[in-house]
Amino acid sequence: MSPPAFDYYWEDFPVGQVRDMGRHTFTEQEIVAFGRQYDRQRFHVDPEAARETLFGGLIASGWHTCAVAMRGMCDAYLARSACVGSPGLDSLKWLKPVRPGDEIAFRARVLEVRPSSSRPGLGLVKFLWDAVDRSGEQVLAMEGWQLFERRANPDR
Amino acid sequence: MNVRADSLLYWEDFTPGEVVEMGRHTFAEDEIIAFAQQFDPQPFHTDPAAARQSIFGGLIASGWHTCAIGMRLMVQNYIGRAASAGSPGVENIRWLAPVRPGDTIRYRRVILEARPSGSRPDLGLVRSRSEALNQRGEIVMTMEGWGMFRRRPAGAQ
Repeated sequence: MSPPAFDYYWEDFPVGQVRDMGRHTFTEQEIVAFGRQYDRQRFHVDPEAARETLFGGLIASGWHTCAVAMRGMCDAYLARSACVGSPGLDSLKWLKPVRPGDEIAFRARVLEVRPSSSRPGLGLVKFLWDAVDRSGEQVLAMEGWQLFERRANPDR
Repeated sequence: MNVRADSLLYWEDFTPGEVVEMGRHTFAEDEIIAFAQQFDPQPFHTDPAAARQSIFGGLIASGWHTCAIGMRLMVQNYIGRAASAGSPGVENIRWLAPVRPGDTIRYRRVILEARPSGSRPDLGLVRSRSEALNQRGEIVMTMEGWGMFRRRPAGAQ
C-alpha cells in the first residue's frame, strides 16, 4: 500500500485542538485593490470619502478578511490535508473593522467531530476560525464545517 | 422597488417579501485559478489536472470566490446606491453545488425582515437571504444575513 499522500486526515483534528494560522498586515493598497475588485463601497475603496462615513476611515471588506483567513488556513493545514471541501458555515461575524496597518492573527479551534453518516470514508470537523488584532480583540469569527477523508488504516 | 432608480435607498425602501435580481457572472477557468492562487490554493481550485483526480472530478471555484462575486454584483446593481452602514455578519452559508469553469451564476436576494436598530435611531436592520443559481437553475449557494442602512432623514426623497 502506498504511504498516505497527506499530512492530515479526519483523525488528526481532535476536539479542543488549537492551531495558529499565521498573521497578516492589511495595507491600504491591498484593501483598496480588493474593494475595487469585489466590494466597491466607498468605505472600502476611497480613503477620503471613507472619513465621512460611519466608520470614520477606510476599512477592509469583510470578504477580504475572510479570504485572507482562508489563505492562512490553506498554508497552516488545509493544503496538506485530505480535505474534500466544505458544506458551509453556520455563522460568520464581522466583529470589528480592519483598518490599514492592522496586523491580524488567525487561528483555528476544533469544536466538534463526527464521521459522515452517508460516506463511511469521510468525516466532518466543525471549526471556530477567528482573527484578532494586536490588542487581542476579535475582528472575525466563523464557525463551519470541513469534510476530510478518514485514514484507511487507523494504525497508520 | 418602490423608489426611483436614481434615488438613494434608505432602510425604509427594503420591503419584506421583495425579490431583487442582482445580475449574473460567468466564471472563467483563469479567474477561478487566479482567485484560488491568491486566497484558496487547494488543488481542486488551482490545478485542472489534479482536480480531475479529486472527488469533484474537475476544477471548481473557491466558495469564497462565489461569495466575492455575489458581493460585487450586489454593490453594482443594488446596494451601491443605498445608504449602507455595513453588515455585522451572515449565517448559514451553504455551498450546495460546485461552480465550474463556464458556469453562469445569477444572484438574487429575498428580503426577509426589516427592523429599526435598538441602539441607533438613525439606523435600521434588514435581514435577507441570498441565493446563487447556475444556468440549469440549480442553487449553488445560499446565505442569510443582516445589513445595516441609514433611515430616511425627514425631507429626503
